[in-house]
Amino acid sequence: MATYFGIAVDDIFNTMQARFRPEGAAGMDAVLAYDITGDGGGCWKITVKDNTVKIENTDDLAGFSVKTTVDAETFVGISIGKVDGMSAFSSGKMKVEGDMSLLAASPRLFNRFTPPKKGVTVHDIFATLVERFRPENATDLDMTIGYNIGGDDGGQWTAVIKDGKCVLETGLRADATITQIVTAKDFVDLVLGKLDPMVAIGAGRLRIAGDMKAAGIVPKLFAKFTPADAGEEQELIVLKRNISVNMKYSTGRHLGMFLDALKEKKIIANICPKCGRYQLPPREVCAECRCRVEDFKEVGPGGVITLIEDVYYASPDPLTGETRETPYGTVHVLLDGCTPDCTFWHFLKNEDLGNTKEGDRVQPVWAEKRDGGVHDILYFEKENG
Amino acid sequence: MTTEHEHCYVVDGKLALPYQYLAGRVGSKFIVSLRDKKQILGVKCEKCGIVFVPPRQTCEKCLADLTKSWVELSDKGEVTNFTVVRKDDKHHPRKAPFVIALVKLEGADTPMAHIVEGIAPEKVAIGMKVKAVFAKTPTNTILDIDHFEPI
Repeated sequence: MATYFGIAVDDIFNTMQARFRPEGAAGMDAVLAYDITGDGGGCWKITVKDNTVKIENTDDLAGFSVKTTVDAETFVGISIGKVDGMSAFSSGKMKVEGDMSLLAASPRLFNRFTPPKKGVTVHDIFATLVERFRPENATDLDMTIGYNIGGDDGGQWTAVIKDGKCVLETGLRADATITQIVTAKDFVDLVLGKLDPMVAIGAGRLRIAGDMKAAGIVPKLFAKFTPADAGEEQELIVLKRNISVNMKYSTGRHLGMFLDALKEKKIIANICPKCGRYQLPPREVCAECRCRVEDFKEVGPGGVITLIEDVYYASPDPLTGETRETPYGTVHVLLDGCTPDCTFWHFLKNEDLGNTKEGDRVQPVWAEKRDGGVHDILYFEKENG
Repeated sequence: MTTEHEHCYVVDGKLALPYQYLAGRVGSKFIVSLRDKKQILGVKCEKCGIVFVPPRQTCEKCLADLTKSWVELSDKGEVTNFTVVRKDDKHHPRKAPFVIALVKLEGADTPMAHIVEGIAPEKVAIGMKVKAVFAKTPTNTILDIDHFEPI
């Protein structure tokens, strides 16, 4: 069985019934079909109706409400959160036919798949029993030890010890020197030292049939079992740093004039002598005509919003190196007196975020102390607001 | 053309880059050993006989995998080259002037760059014997060796 991230496609569908959440299926009457392609894939049909679910492994997917076609690896990845479903969809790895909105509802239908923790199994313990045998403690010993282990993971084994050798057989012998009778879980716990043998015997969870005296030497016959992954996971070093590089920005004369004017609560643009376009902030050269622009004019301070942005993910501010708190709003404002393509970009007052729209009139709010920087304007706020 | 400086300013700014550096399996083992055991580790290419310090995953000559060829190194070595840092920068580990030297440890074939302290910069010389001084508090970086000092 092909597995991805250590998990088979079957594992996910086989646990769906147990992970089903009736409360998430309220009012739903739908058939979700899955065509999982590639190694380990197959077709599954999930019928949700009357707060119940039916999961079928069938090639007949007819009558579906929504059908998802995806390769096995991507499917497993999405199910365990290793692969982003939206990007799998937009990259074309996952194809959806029918009512897509049902897929959006599907996470509510099932509890998230959690891969079973890989623990020690009874089979792991018997796999190493012979190599853990200690002949130095078994000189002249002739005994058979039966293991009758119940439960899903259980089984029956017999260790035959003779002439300083240990041979493991499957099945039980009626004439075993001793036989341990225990459940798989308790057996694993006993071997790992999580369950005390005397406690287990006292509680009736471990029964020993046969020669009780012989039972006493059994622990000496085998070296301690250590799980294969007993080695500590390696510590991996990760450093998270904010590298901050000092920068110097030269304003030049035109931007400097603009900044000087801010000190006086004035906003100045410059006007191209050829095309008549306003530039704000002013530039030395017209971006369209490539000619020098020396004609300055005060504009605003009020204006009309042409574009609002709600910012939820901020990149660091190049002036301070700090990342702003989100959400915040930025606006493009067409200040009074400017030509239509000459908008001015600044912050929107936090309180106006969400209740301001394009076309609204705004005015700048000035900093008390102004030193000729863009933050001499704190932000724009709604007029009469 | 005349140059006019009126209205011309220089504005200070900062360019901050949130950054994540992963030391990898080999680098992590090296750092953890410095930090927890005060033991400098290298790797030895059995084929070429080269001992690399700091350790690396692959031999640069024969491309052999070195991830299982760890060797323990002495904390003593020799300065093979050095420079005196005379300009301060906030990212530097010390205030200027200080010495960054290439130190080749006993038993190693490659030198490692580190700080040399406990001697005036003008007295540092190639061939000088030095010894690692380990950091008192863990840093999870190469600075778990705090610096080298003359023997």
